Amino acid sequence: MKGDRSKAVTLWTFVVAALIMLSAPTLVVLGASFTAGNMITFPPEGLSLKWYAAIAGATDLRDAFLRSLIVASICTAVAIPTGTLAGIALAKYRVRFAAGVQVYLLLPFTVPLIGSGIGLMLIFGRWGVLGQLWPVGVAAAVINLPFMIWAVTASAAALDPDLELAAANCGAPPLSTFLAVTVPAVMPGIITGALLMFILALNEFLVSLLLVDARIVTLPVQIYNSIRSIITPDLAAISVVFIAVAAAAIALLDRLVGLDIFLKSK
Amino acid sequence: MDALEAVAAALWPRRLSSAVPWLMLLPAVVLTGLLVLGLWEMADGSFRTLDTATFLPSDDYSFANYHRAFTEKLFVTVASRSLIGSLIVTAATLVLAFPYSYVMVRTRSAALRKFLLIALFLPFFIGQVVRAYGWLIILGSQGMVNEALGLVGVAPIRLLYNYPAVLFGLVQYMLPFAVLMLAPALTAIPEEMESAAGSLGANWVRTFVHVVLPMAKPGFIGAGLVVLTLSLTDFAIPAILGGGSQDFIANAIYDQFFRTSDQGMGATLALLLVAVGSIMVGVVFALFGAGTLAMGRKP
Repeated sequence: MKGDRSKAVTLWTFVVAALIMLSAPTLVVLGASFTAGNMITFPPEGLSLKWYAAIAGATDLRDAFLRSLIVASICTAVAIPTGTLAGIALAKYRVRFAAGVQVYLLLPFTVPLIGSGIGLMLIFGRWGVLGQLWPVGVAAAVINLPFMIWAVTASAAALDPDLELAAANCGAPPLSTFLAVTVPAVMPGIITGALLMFILALNEFLVSLLLVDARIVTLPVQIYNSIRSIITPDLAAISVVFIAVAAAAIALLDRLVGLDIFLKSK
Repeated sequence: MDALEAVAAALWPRRLSSAVPWLMLLPAVVLTGLLVLGLWEMADGSFRTLDTATFLPSDDYSFANYHRAFTEKLFVTVASRSLIGSLIVTAATLVLAFPYSYVMVRTRSAALRKFLLIALFLPFFIGQVVRAYGWLIILGSQGMVNEALGLVGVAPIRLLYNYPAVLFGLVQYMLPFAVLMLAPALTAIPEEMESAAGSLGANWVRTFVHVVLPMAKPGFIGAGLVVLTLSLTDFAIPAILGGGSQDFIANAIYDQFFRTSDQGMGATLALLLVAVGSIMVGVVFALFGAGTLAMGRKP
């Protein structure tokens, strides 16, 4: 076809620009974490793992990471049953006022994070539960719940009502049918959703910033607080933890459901 | 298992089975209800002004905070900075996201597609703070760009803590969202449409302008909307790359709560932002349907 060359050149100019923009911070953080110097300089002053040794010994960073793991686990544990049940209900039944329910359940998505965070901070403050980790996990579940519901409803196409009827016909009581037929059918959605919830909660910054105090900072908040004072390579090393977790999550997601799923048209 | 069934049957007799969907929705409704309670609490606070004598919120209600939000220069400046910024970010993000989605959807190479997807998901999963930290290393006064410029004899340039730095960081943050919302819309366009336009004599530019872009409109609307609301309400990028001099609305809200300790004013600004965000989403839903954001049964 005529002009194919100019089309490819134009498209690829943009794609390469986007690729550089997307990858530059990640690559630079990775590179900076291996510096042998005490400052992040360019070009780097040789290679070493000393900053990894430094963060392994830094209790404040390690504790912050542990707290982030706890928050992410609580968030995932809350979101899996809540989102799965809601997702199946929305996909399977003709719920009355379904449009209204949808708009309501999309609230965490339409309310800006700063609004959700402040609102939850006021509520948890009124209940006197601030200063603990579980409200942070619950808050992460609240603000990301639509992702879990989307993931489950998206895989609900595999839900064949005839299968459930067949199970019931063979004498399976309702709860067994649900656990042995319905839940396995949407399992890919549950896994995708759970993975998303975990990773989003692990990275959650703004809502954590609003809900934690100095004794229970999570890792993103800890990094944010340290950035403001001085930029040292140990932050790069601890950031690599996030990069590693993200890479693992992507590999897992690709393995379990395939990344191509995000390209499908509805 | 039998025992569990018996418990389930006792707790939930068969005649109530029509309520099963509602029972299944209940936990999600309760969880989201926390947000509604929070909004209510904010609404209550927004009508109370800060008593400068006691530093406590007043007991009586007034619209004073709302009046201040629309008249005080600081808030007007911050609001227009965020609005103009998010519009620029949306336009720039869509311009970058369209070719990326197009190549990703249309390429015949499965390996290239996977590479583009991974390059997209990695930053998406890493979180804003770490990404902003990467930009600090690259753009800082002793950062990579300035050191590289120094090698060719150019004096250091201030690349951080200004408006363009914040907008640049926001575009990078928004790119994965935009591509992921555009891609399904492009997948839905049959490739034959483009070949047909080509065989009728249209060059690729005309094919894009008259066939691909119009057909991808729902994707552009969805992506544009998400990018606009997320960048309008972002906190971390303006805070880190703007260095306190380029506050967006979210930063102003945070400052009201944690610097000025004027909870009422902070709640007012937050509620106004919620209203603006919800109206934008609502208008688009009303005009074009929930599109790719819909949950549940397909019509």
